[in-house]
Amino acid sequence: MHSNTTRAAGVPGRRAGHPGCCTRRHFLASGVWNLASLGLVWLLQEEGLLPAAPSRPELKTKSYDLRPKPPEFRPRARAMISLWMQGGPSHLDLFDPKPALAKYKEYPGEVKYDDPAHASRRLLPSPWKFRRCGESGMELSELLPHLGRVADEITLIRSMVTGVNNHGQSIRALQTGAVVPGRPTLGSWLTYGLGSMSQSLPAFVALIDPGQLPVLGVENWSNGWLPSLYQGTVIQPREPRIPNLHPPAHLKGKPQQQALELLGRLNQRHMEQHPGHLDLPARVASYELAARMQLAAHEALDISKESKATLKLYGIDDPATRDFGTRCLIARRLIERGVRFVQVYTQNQFWDHHRGIRKSLPAACRKVDRPSAALVLDLKARGLLDTTVVHWGGEMGRLPVIQYDEGPDRVGRDHNTYGFSMWLAGGGFRGGCVYGATDEFGHKAVENKVTHHDYHATLLHLFGLDHQHLSFERNTRKETLTDGKPCRVVKEILA
Amino acid sequence: MNCSCRLLWSVLALLVLLTPAVRGEEAPNKKRLTFEHDIRPILKVHCTHCHGEAGEKEGGLDLRLRWLMVQGGDSGPAIEPGDPEASYLIERIEAGEMPPGDAPRMPKEQVALLRRWIAQGAPTAGPEPKEVGPGPIITEAERQFWAFRPPRRPKPPRVKAAHRVRTPIDAFVLARLEQAGLTFAPDADRRTLIRRLYFDLLGLPPRPEEVKRFVEDPSPQAYRRLVDRLLASPQYGERWARHWLDVAGYADSEGYTNEDPVRPWAWKYRDYVIRSLNQDKPLDQFIVEQLAGDELVQPPYKDLSAREAELLVATGFLRMAPDGTARAPDPPLARNAVISETIKIVSSALLGLTVGCAECHDHKYDPIPQEDYYRLRAIFEPAYDPKHWRTPPQRLISLYTQADREKAQQIEQQAKQLDRKRLQRQKELIQQTLERELAKLPEELREPLRTAYNTPAAKRTKEQKELLKKYPKVGRLTPGSLYLYDRKAADELKKLAEQAKKIRDTKPKEEFVRALTEVPGQVPQTVVFYRGDYRQPRQAVRPGPLRVLLPGDAPNPVPVDDPKLPTTGRRLAYARWLTSGRHPLVARVLVNRVWMHYFGRGIVATPEDFGHLGARPSHPELLDFLADELVRSGWSLKRLHRLIVTSTVYRQQSRISPQAQRIDPDNRLLSHMPLRRLDAEALRDGVLAVSGKLNLEMFGEPVPVMADRVGQFVLGIENLNAGRPGPRIPLHGREYRRSVYVQARRSRPLAVLKAFDYPAMEPNCPRRASSTVSTQALMLMNNEFLINHAHFFAQRVEREAGAEPQDQVKRAWLLAYGREPDAQETAWAVEFLRRQAEVLRGRKAQVRTSDSKVHTITDPKQMALASLCQVLLGSNEFLYVD
Repeated sequence: MHSNTTRAAGVPGRRAGHPGCCTRRHFLASGVWNLASLGLVWLLQEEGLLPAAPSRPELKTKSYDLRPKPPEFRPRARAMISLWMQGGPSHLDLFDPKPALAKYKEYPGEVKYDDPAHASRRLLPSPWKFRRCGESGMELSELLPHLGRVADEITLIRSMVTGVNNHGQSIRALQTGAVVPGRPTLGSWLTYGLGSMSQSLPAFVALIDPGQLPVLGVENWSNGWLPSLYQGTVIQPREPRIPNLHPPAHLKGKPQQQALELLGRLNQRHMEQHPGHLDLPARVASYELAARMQLAAHEALDISKESKATLKLYGIDDPATRDFGTRCLIARRLIERGVRFVQVYTQNQFWDHHRGIRKSLPAACRKVDRPSAALVLDLKARGLLDTTVVHWGGEMGRLPVIQYDEGPDRVGRDHNTYGFSMWLAGGGFRGGCVYGATDEFGHKAVENKVTHHDYHATLLHLFGLDHQHLSFERNTRKETLTDGKPCRVVKEILA
Repeated sequence: MNCSCRLLWSVLALLVLLTPAVRGEEAPNKKRLTFEHDIRPILKVHCTHCHGEAGEKEGGLDLRLRWLMVQGGDSGPAIEPGDPEASYLIERIEAGEMPPGDAPRMPKEQVALLRRWIAQGAPTAGPEPKEVGPGPIITEAERQFWAFRPPRRPKPPRVKAAHRVRTPIDAFVLARLEQAGLTFAPDADRRTLIRRLYFDLLGLPPRPEEVKRFVEDPSPQAYRRLVDRLLASPQYGERWARHWLDVAGYADSEGYTNEDPVRPWAWKYRDYVIRSLNQDKPLDQFIVEQLAGDELVQPPYKDLSAREAELLVATGFLRMAPDGTARAPDPPLARNAVISETIKIVSSALLGLTVGCAECHDHKYDPIPQEDYYRLRAIFEPAYDPKHWRTPPQRLISLYTQADREKAQQIEQQAKQLDRKRLQRQKELIQQTLERELAKLPEELREPLRTAYNTPAAKRTKEQKELLKKYPKVGRLTPGSLYLYDRKAADELKKLAEQAKKIRDTKPKEEFVRALTEVPGQVPQTVVFYRGDYRQPRQAVRPGPLRVLLPGDAPNPVPVDDPKLPTTGRRLAYARWLTSGRHPLVARVLVNRVWMHYFGRGIVATPEDFGHLGARPSHPELLDFLADELVRSGWSLKRLHRLIVTSTVYRQQSRISPQAQRIDPDNRLLSHMPLRRLDAEALRDGVLAVSGKLNLEMFGEPVPVMADRVGQFVLGIENLNAGRPGPRIPLHGREYRRSVYVQARRSRPLAVLKAFDYPAMEPNCPRRASSTVSTQALMLMNNEFLINHAHFFAQRVEREAGAEPQDQVKRAWLLAYGREPDAQETAWAVEFLRRQAEVLRGRKAQVRTSDSKVHTITDPKQMALASLCQVLLGSNEFLYVD
């Protein structure tokens, strides 16, 4: 019933300076986000308590902010945590059991290799066993014992396809909707479309690994051509997680506040004299956010007050899981405080097991399995899972055939973006659900294929957004996350 | 295979997939196919690697041209035009025999396409060359791509608003604007212009007096004179050197390994770049020196004159890539990485092409066969020579002259005399002490202990060792512990040691050059590496430029070994070809980059890639005009600057008209000057300048970077105490030097620069980002650097304007923005000072000064003024160039 004219025109509703905003802000600033307020903005608007965004004169300078914006229809999810498994975890050894790999010697059809130089046609049966988990009986690998415990909470998609067989492009497909560089990432789109429920923490946070940045580095949280205010903010893996967070003693409190007030006035004047330069309002917003962050970030990032049981749940007591567990726990704390989108990254090519998969895959699983499952359990226990999407996946899976046929310890698997797995939980995804299938050998998705566009359309749908409506006008072109490509909301995996 | 290579593979695969026939559409069945457009790309992926390219012709068959296919191989013709059924090629592919083994099959759709093409009579788009050499063929169509054709000087177009045209540049830009129904924004005022010019040419803000002089200058020549003055300023070279250093991948550390060891003499190359730009050294000469300076010097490189040293320093350009060969665990791999990274730097800097892909296979998008990559590599290989590799320390060339060496030897001998004297005296003193200690012990122990002590440690018997252990006062007596027994004796020895050191310190200082040189007579053979793997060498290649950039009929300008030179002469000949004025890319790439630094975006928006995957020029004719102009002007960079900055397009306001907003929101057509954020160095240097602290000392060793207590990288001399930072060692004003002199250690980017998009050199940075994030705001609000400099700025204001708030505000505005505040701003600022002083009463500010002492400030007025100054430094008017 609700039609939002501004959104249909390509720009999400903006509420700069209208009367409803102070109350809401006050409400939101009042502390840890209250569950009852899910969809509050939407409800208020639906009930006519907030005026619809006024239509604006065509040539008026655009301005952007991070205030919460009403979704188009009733949302299921309000926040998302994406555990970004860069490198391409082997679905054949983790999520998608294929007995045929042990039955035959060679792959019968055409294999889509990325690296033909070290390729072979010889099949590599998974060295690990699969077991049925949960009431749903979802088959998962013994390498993921903790995930097995939450099988009934997750949707496992076994038919992901991007069809571009290298890291950079497939990452771009999943993170930005297209293989070309320069486009905004999912987190940028969500914060652009919905703003943030927290006005004191960044709307979009990138929790990077202490090791090297994932492939494409900062592109993973880039705002592309969206205003830079929608760029992800990096939180460092070690203290000081946010450098320069606090002023020196003599400026604390009132002096800094007064200084920022003056700065705001000068910038406002300067902006009025330079209309249309979008970097200026973005910088003003970056100051406003920084000032609020000072108050909120320290508390949000401090896990010392978490219970012993929680710390143990995430594996923070274990050196192998401490880092990833801490970052998952911080992700939960950020979401609790109203952050819209958090992505937790593994290090560069963490799952890219071209060779020596027998040793390196178990090690990789050991680092992330417990914390990932803990995140689902913890969100559920806190009643947050219903409204928070948890995503676990990388840009590709692996091939059923051997790469580097140089003896059992050296074998590995090459890239495969034609059929791979990832899982989702919460925020409206159906628990205990396995969707789609690859061929007998797990190379190509053959049943209920899910492309990156389908995935994005489905996510936006859960957030109450139509992927064809959430758009940004650029050079007289209406840009969308799904880039005008044919795709669908995968209703079958929704609760 | 690296990422970008894979990208190219996939893009090609996508394109092949996207051709209409592959999508299985009906209509194009009637479309006339041609070998060049439809068939060759397929064969290139699946066949020609073994049939024609890479020096191989399996079964005598060459599939690179249509006539070669008809001619066929050992089994007869590969195709029968008009009859796919009779074509052997189709037969073998459909039987699954080709491509052989594990190689990916040719998709059915592509086979169908091949069939249709043969059925249509196997047409070509144009006549084929009658004679072909080995390797992939570069077709005429490929040579016709805009970037591979030499620039031709276009005539400036006619425009309607002719009165706005100051230079030919304006005609080119304005013509495009007028086509789109737009025009230039009005000229900017002088205050705006002088700030813009200062930051663009010097990377520093103008002083208030300079602004005043310019604004009040009645001469119509005022602007031109300002431009000339700035171009003559030594700070000009520092500013523009930084741009070139980005492209060269300048770093003061070796990178590659986690230790990232310091690269001690790289800074001489940085100084060379600064000096060259300040002299307006013609860019052709600048390039020749950097690529082949060593080939202009007679080996062995000893007793070098200043000019010879300069030429060797210039080759530092080819030594900027990460080089971990001194410590890498896999030396051959590390050596190979140095060469490939260097080729990346050279090609992105000078050719504007991503040739790296062709290291493993033919470039799938640009006509760069794999063999061409190795031809290019062969130009550089004699100097790197992986088989006779020299590590960074081994490549250092001493700047000592024979006279220096002799003098040093003399001095060393004097010092050694003192050493000997000291050792003799030490022996005596030890013996005296020993005797004193023995005297305190029972008689019967003295002789055995004396003997044990005087026996060299290695020859002592077990009993002797135990005896000495039992009587530690004797056993532990050493030159090092002597001071504990006899302070006076120890001091005497110390004095002698100091004397020797003092003498040694008078030796002439030995400096080194980080150069790239060849070993005369030692010429390695360059071979193609199968799939880029150095362990799989294939056919040998001779040195030469990328063939697509060499006009079809031009001879290869690069010799294998120039008999007139002691070195091979390969790099020298190549550099001369690049700068001959006939090369299609070099001048375009150079002027494009200069343009980018003024307008925020190049005429080609991808300055590192002019190839098929890069952007197309927004103003192709302007690009060619500028390229030609550069060559004609004798490669003078300063003349190019003058041409650009005196143009209307540069002198416009930044105001956006409503039409421009609608028609060209990205400002591709330049209907107004873009508003640009200061880059990292201009921001830091600007803060230093405004606060009055800027130290304009030029050249020399970099200012070191260290980690502070919270792990941020700051300027300072590392002083670790058990791994934790000890007290700060004063830098005596060096911390106020310009950012170009800050140590560029790859693993330790200075925090204040990093926050504002200072790039990591991996291996270089052809284009910087400009981000806007709240971490920058936090930096400007809370970072020690900003807080300190706000205080220095305040002290300067007080010094120059006195104690009256009104005057202080005016002065602060002039210093930070180059203009006076208006009444409203003055009122705000004066009121701010009053209220800020109120809340700061009773607080204490701590400021670290250059002697590294912390000074405490308690005067609330001073703190309030510093706070105002900090607001100005963090404001958009300061951070952006209008």
